[in-house]
Amino acid sequence: MGLFDILTGKRRLARPAPDRLFAMTTANVAFETELGLRSRGLAGIVFQPLATSDFEQIVRDMVEVVQGISADAETQVESRDDEYGYRWIVLRDPDFDDLVVGINAVSGALEAGGYGERILCAVFAFEDRAGRPLYWIYNYKRGAFYPFVPAPGAQQRDNEAELRLKAQVGAELPIEAELERWFPLWGIPI
Amino acid sequence: MPRPTSFGKDTGLQVRMTMTMFLLGLVYAALIGIVVASGYMALLIVVGGLLALQFFASDKLALHAMGAREVSPQEAPQLHAMIERLCVQADLPKPRVAIADTPMPNAFAIGRSPKSATVCATTGIMELLSPAELEGVMAHELTHVQNRDVMVMTIAGFFAAIASYIVQFGFFFGGGSDDEDGPGFFAVVLVSMAVYVVSFLLLQALSRYREFAADRGAAIITGRPSALASALMRISGTMERIPQRDLRASQELAAFYIFPPHAKQSLMGLFSTHPPIEKRIAALSRLEAQLQGAA
Repeated sequence: MGLFDILTGKRRLARPAPDRLFAMTTANVAFETELGLRSRGLAGIVFQPLATSDFEQIVRDMVEVVQGISADAETQVESRDDEYGYRWIVLRDPDFDDLVVGINAVSGALEAGGYGERILCAVFAFEDRAGRPLYWIYNYKRGAFYPFVPAPGAQQRDNEAELRLKAQVGAELPIEAELERWFPLWGIPI
Repeated sequence: MPRPTSFGKDTGLQVRMTMTMFLLGLVYAALIGIVVASGYMALLIVVGGLLALQFFASDKLALHAMGAREVSPQEAPQLHAMIERLCVQADLPKPRVAIADTPMPNAFAIGRSPKSATVCATTGIMELLSPAELEGVMAHELTHVQNRDVMVMTIAGFFAAIASYIVQFGFFFGGGSDDEDGPGFFAVVLVSMAVYVVSFLLLQALSRYREFAADRGAAIITGRPSALASALMRISGTMERIPQRDLRASQELAAFYIFPPHAKQSLMGLFSTHPPIEKRIAALSRLEAQLQGAA
């Protein structure tokens, strides 16, 4: 945001950053072999549903498209609203690469409809060797990933495990550099 | 695809805001000119230093004055989660979150930069508004943070404050020897007085424009202009009924409220830091129309 934008209070929503989503596909190999992280076959993408006439239609078309491209792969698609008024498109597929492709199809359809800036993030569900859930969150506006490990208790997260993951992953993924932007997502439906 | 590309654009507002800041600059240039010409530079520097100090200490003071307390995510999980999502959407680092325990429905943001910002909601506003409405209000405050309104208004008001100090000094130490070259002290005081009056009006106008900008920013972040409009209506409805107890906040703070605490609808528009509620709601409904592709 430039000085002139600050002075005149101009506001535009940040457009999605250049897409680095597919870094997840290669990183997943390292997750499995080196870190012992296993995909739980679930991924989701969360966005703000707008109350405009064309938005619902775009979402409906998009769900059809995703179901279409995954007809041979067995991706299941479902849509649900969370308590904060955001909408999740949840994909379920044992093949991790298909999950990434599916998520990309959803974001692509929203962007094509002109609502790309409404996308919040994509979430990939994993579990570690002990079976504890952990998530990799992709922030579209920043084009970067960060780990999110919920801990037992209300709205607690395991920062130690997250920082360890960041160190272990190293250069495999573009990691969000600013720790204050590692936003938690409570109540992830996957 | 009927993409609302013009959504959120308001060239007129931008022009008015730039014009106001230009006029402020002119007035201030006149003030600096006469102070320098009269050789009272030392005065300018001392007062400037005092104000800068005040600026850097103001965050804590303001929070304290409002009886606000910073809350952890465990204490206010809903509010934190809501703000986190808005921050992702607005591409902002997360500010600190505070709650003030007062039935008065209000919210404000303080902090010089997005990294040191704090947003605060009162318990009153959290009880009064629905989640979507509260989201609109918090997005309004986050836009204040993003537009650096505290910084802009403080800097814009800096010389007005200096002018007011000079006027006060003038009454104490008026007169003195006028034998040197250049305008005398009396002239400096007179000009300062004029600068103070004119810049006061300009500052109030600037504050109103920035409120419009923050409303618009909130609508863009949430994509729900009508939710904010409904929040404003609901707040203004209760603001008149609830007695204004426990609000001795300073006038400078008022600019960063979602709704000014001393507002009376009959007050002359020229002197208020916030635009009238009808105008804000009208601006928001224009946004909603743009969003729906009708405008």
